[in-house]
Amino acid sequence: MNVQEYIESGILEEYALGVLNEVERAEVERIAREHPEIGRELDSIVRSLDAYAEAHAITPPAEMRDRVLQGWQQAIRETEKPEPSAVSASNGTSATTPPQMVAVTSAPAAAVPSPSADGAVVRQMPAQESNSGRTRWLIAASVALLVLSALGNFLLYNRLKETEANLEVAQTEQSRYAATQKAALNERDEQLRVLRNEAFRAVELKGTPKSPNALARVYYNQQTKAVYVDVRNLPAPPAGKQYQLWALDNGKPVDAGVLATATAAGDSIQQMKDIASAQAFAMTVEDEGGVASPTLSTMTVIGNL
Amino acid sequence: MSVPTPESAALETEVLLVQRLRDRDEGAMTIFYDKYSAALYGVIMRIVKKEEIAEDVLQEAMVKIWHSFPSYDAEKGRLFTWVMNVCRNLAIDKIRSRQYRVGSRTQPIEESAALRQAAEPSFRPEHIGLQEMTNQLNPEQRQIVDLLYFGGFTQSEVAEELNLPLGTVKTRARAAIKVLSKLIR
Repeated sequence: MNVQEYIESGILEEYALGVLNEVERAEVERIAREHPEIGRELDSIVRSLDAYAEAHAITPPAEMRDRVLQGWQQAIRETEKPEPSAVSASNGTSATTPPQMVAVTSAPAAAVPSPSADGAVVRQMPAQESNSGRTRWLIAASVALLVLSALGNFLLYNRLKETEANLEVAQTEQSRYAATQKAALNERDEQLRVLRNEAFRAVELKGTPKSPNALARVYYNQQTKAVYVDVRNLPAPPAGKQYQLWALDNGKPVDAGVLATATAAGDSIQQMKDIASAQAFAMTVEDEGGVASPTLSTMTVIGNL
Repeated sequence: MSVPTPESAALETEVLLVQRLRDRDEGAMTIFYDKYSAALYGVIMRIVKKEEIAEDVLQEAMVKIWHSFPSYDAEKGRLFTWVMNVCRNLAIDKIRSRQYRVGSRTQPIEESAALRQAAEPSFRPEHIGLQEMTNQLNPEQRQIVDLLYFGGFTQSEVAEELNLPLGTVKTRARAAIKVLSKLIR
């Protein structure tokens, strides 16, 4: 075999990292014994990784020592207990079996009044033995089945618990989703109510020469004075600026409020300030929060009723 | 363990400890704890990240070591290597178990090994420090060693995870281990 090729195959590293199965491990160990060069390489790899592990050492908190040692002792006591109890259990069964066997022996002995006594005993012995052997086997088998069934129950129970937990998570998530959807739906209904209401007049606000592609729509209810704005396309305002809507009443601008970011982006319809009377609407770009009178040079859209 | 005392003395105490463990001497486990807990706890912590879980894993590991001690073969390697593998495997099983992953299901667990590279603040000064070791490794080498050693990945799994050819992973792993072995010589 090619020693160098074997070393470079990476299998020694995998051995040291503990990712090989039993058969592969045994094979590596055999080859390392047969080829001293591989053995040395393997040893060096193992030591390197041990040193790397040791470099991560953290002295555990002092109070942990007693806890861990006591916990360990308790754990090995608990695991050792079943063994003696198993032994005593099998002692128990063998203690109860002999009387039965006595009964069995006594019956044929009584049925056959003293034949050639030796032969009877000799013949009966193997029968008894196989009988008690079968009993023992049956007990062992039923204990094994019981253990298996208990294990199966335990696993199924765990899986059930897990499924229940997952279901609960899914249900919570679903009801949260439903709530969000309902809220969104309510909002849309409200908007639809505005758009369908005949009392609302739609006013197209068209882009000024400064931004000819800009387009927005105002819904104005002259009876209730309500104003809604629906943006189709507006250039994003510069940082620190917001769009502000103005109503023009006899040429005089009246503040109708500033547009939220989502509104300006066209994501939703926004209700603005009530306007008593207007013949036109316009939007300008103003400092965040709005201003008292419009900056005409930043007028983006305008439209007449 | 071998740095502060001469190699032979360390070996002698290890041989004695192994003998006592083989004789089912429960007192030996206290000595075992004092001798190995820092190294084992450090690696377990590196894998599971949480102190209370690390403590549980250490205790479980000690129970396992006690019960499966008859299968330890001193001919095949040092006690330290064997117990470290027991701890590492238990810790890796722990982080791969479903319970542990609930809540972080969307993150691949590899992330824990690959990204959280923060060095533990306390390592014992009498040993070759973590800093010193990792300074010698380049980031790619360290990532691979950590995925392999702390993540329990095979080289093929690492190759898939990092989207590298298997050959590259093998070369880097070998190079990294070579660097480490030069340091301890």
